[in-house]
Amino acid sequence: MRLRKILTAVIIFILLCPATAYADEPYNNYNYDFWGTPVPAPAAYLPSRIIDGRSLGTYEFRKPQDLFTGPDNKLYVADTGNNRIVVINEYWELDRIIDGFDNNGSQDTFNNPQGLFVTNDGEIYVADTSNSRIVHLDADGNLIRIIGRPVSDIIPADLQYYPTALVVDKAGRIYIIAQGVNQGLIELDNQGEFVGYVGATKVKFNMVDYFWKLIATDEQRERMQLFVPTEYNNIDIDTEGFLYVTTSSLALEDIDRAINTRSKDDRYAPIRKLNPTGTDVLRRNGYFPPVGDVYFRSRGYAESGNSQLYDVCVEDSGIYSVLDKKKGRIFTYDTDGNLLYLFGGIGNRLGNFRDPAALDTINDQFVVLDSNMGQVTVFEPTLYGQLVKEAVVLHLNGRYDESAAKWEQVLKYNANSELAYIGMGKAYLRKDEFRLAMKYFKLGNKRDYYSKAFDLYRQEVIGDNFGWIVITILVLLVGSKILKKVRARKKAGIKAMGKVEA
Amino acid sequence: MEVLQSLRYSLYLIFHPFDGFWDLKHEKKGNLKTAMLIVAMVIVTFILRRQLTGFILNENKLRELNIIVEILSVVLPFFLWCVANWCLTTLMDGEGSFKDIVITSAYALVPLVLINIPLIIFSNVITLEEAAFYTFFDILSLAWTLLLLFLGTSVVHQYSLLKTFLTSICIVIGMGLIIFIALLFFSLLQQMYSFVYTIYKEIALRL
Repeated sequence: MRLRKILTAVIIFILLCPATAYADEPYNNYNYDFWGTPVPAPAAYLPSRIIDGRSLGTYEFRKPQDLFTGPDNKLYVADTGNNRIVVINEYWELDRIIDGFDNNGSQDTFNNPQGLFVTNDGEIYVADTSNSRIVHLDADGNLIRIIGRPVSDIIPADLQYYPTALVVDKAGRIYIIAQGVNQGLIELDNQGEFVGYVGATKVKFNMVDYFWKLIATDEQRERMQLFVPTEYNNIDIDTEGFLYVTTSSLALEDIDRAINTRSKDDRYAPIRKLNPTGTDVLRRNGYFPPVGDVYFRSRGYAESGNSQLYDVCVEDSGIYSVLDKKKGRIFTYDTDGNLLYLFGGIGNRLGNFRDPAALDTINDQFVVLDSNMGQVTVFEPTLYGQLVKEAVVLHLNGRYDESAAKWEQVLKYNANSELAYIGMGKAYLRKDEFRLAMKYFKLGNKRDYYSKAFDLYRQEVIGDNFGWIVITILVLLVGSKILKKVRARKKAGIKAMGKVEA
Repeated sequence: MEVLQSLRYSLYLIFHPFDGFWDLKHEKKGNLKTAMLIVAMVIVTFILRRQLTGFILNENKLRELNIIVEILSVVLPFFLWCVANWCLTTLMDGEGSFKDIVITSAYALVPLVLINIPLIIFSNVITLEEAAFYTFFDILSLAWTLLLLFLGTSVVHQYSLLKTFLTSICIVIGMGLIIFIALLFFSLLQQMYSFVYTIYKEIALRL
């Protein structure tokens, strides 16, 4: 009887205990600290919905390769396998389908269109890959022009021209990525005439390679890896006309070295920001260069190896995100190259991908295209994600105090956020609160700013106690002189005494 | 008392290496106890340096300190040097015994302690722009120690400078060789262990 009572009491007690709640996120959320250790972080983005052919009331997407957010928040999907462009309106409903156009009186269609770009006027540029051409349509889907294979002496005659991605800048210049072209981007002027290649990576090989190449036989030399520039795989353009390009053809060793040496070098960078002359101007001032995952197993495990970046998208504020095709993750960086947050993963749940192919933003949301599943996943920012982004944007706009207030809120969600500590430290530094600034920079592992704060703090301390310092030094100087004299006199005294005794 | 006196002598030695090392051996100014104390002091210095160097110049993960690794990182190279030194100099008519070598090498480490301890304090009051001074003294302590090791070897074995130089290079190569052989030995041992273990497992499963 008694046992039963105790048992009931225990059961009731257990039931009354609050159950631990687990956030149901379909992927790991983390960020990297100063030493490159992944540290758990709150989710910045959560999946909210999936859009596929069926939900739009048409047939399923087949191997779609690209998506782009146009004006009026319309989403353009290059449904590559079905040779059509699907336009989705802001209510996530089907707007229209472009599966052909009137070409001088005859009906023309796309063949394997892998990339597209929509200008601010709503004009659509389609990289009609297997037709080896760019199709330029107006906002209603009527043909404006067809831009065929670029003509120039420096383009080899045997080149199979397969454009896969493109952007158009405000002046109408077209930048094209084509398969098998490693001289950089193909630049066309607004008439569609070939201007030149732009933004090829500089090729450098080290002394060891050079030495082996010197002593190798011709056959060996042929089998050696060719030192060719890296091929780009995707491109985006920001409001100021800078081009963001990604590549996934870098060697694991090079990425590894860039991470270990915290390299700012653009040669082994999978993300590059090109100015109009094709020079890389991406800022890499984070603790690690923007390469996706910083910590990974080298080889032989599932999910081993470096991130394979396949797409990039820039927001108006200059914050950019890249898509890791291998691990299905999206990494977001600020303009300085600090990793703000990351999310996503490979899998079968909502918010996971099998073969992510393209990435873009609509307002605050992310849309990710999964080529294998033929669907678009929409991600909504969490409160945490919003706070981080707002803090960064406020700081960029020079509103430092408001930014610091946001960072303070970020810290309530994530006490491991080094960026938040640095943000607050900067605010205190501006308010001349050097002691506090030092504390926050230390928490954020920001040594250069800590040094600045410390320098000012040291000045302050010395200034406040200048009198005492001078007095101490004087006392020490005079004291040591007196001591010396006393000693000398003593010695002389002893000597004199010795003489007397002798 | 003897140890204290010997420690005081080390201060004389680092400024007068030729006389100092000579007397260390022939006048019995040094002893093994003091030598071990100096090595211990070097270990302590390195641990303090790892943990207490100012934030600006210190990129170590302060929360993760492995004392064993810290101790081994001093003791292993030290004895590796001594053993390689002894192995080579016995073949090359060196006059120093193993004990002499250990004592000499230990006394040569004194600048490391002497410079690094004030340097730890100094590192806490400088900014990034003044870090060059820190680096300078850091390199100075190392250079001084290496010079003393070199001169100590020369004096204790009564070598000419050229011979010492050649021997020193050989010693460094010898150290590498010892590491190589040690690794080989351990890997062989591991293979043998796994071989025996597999046989044992095979038999145990069959029976």
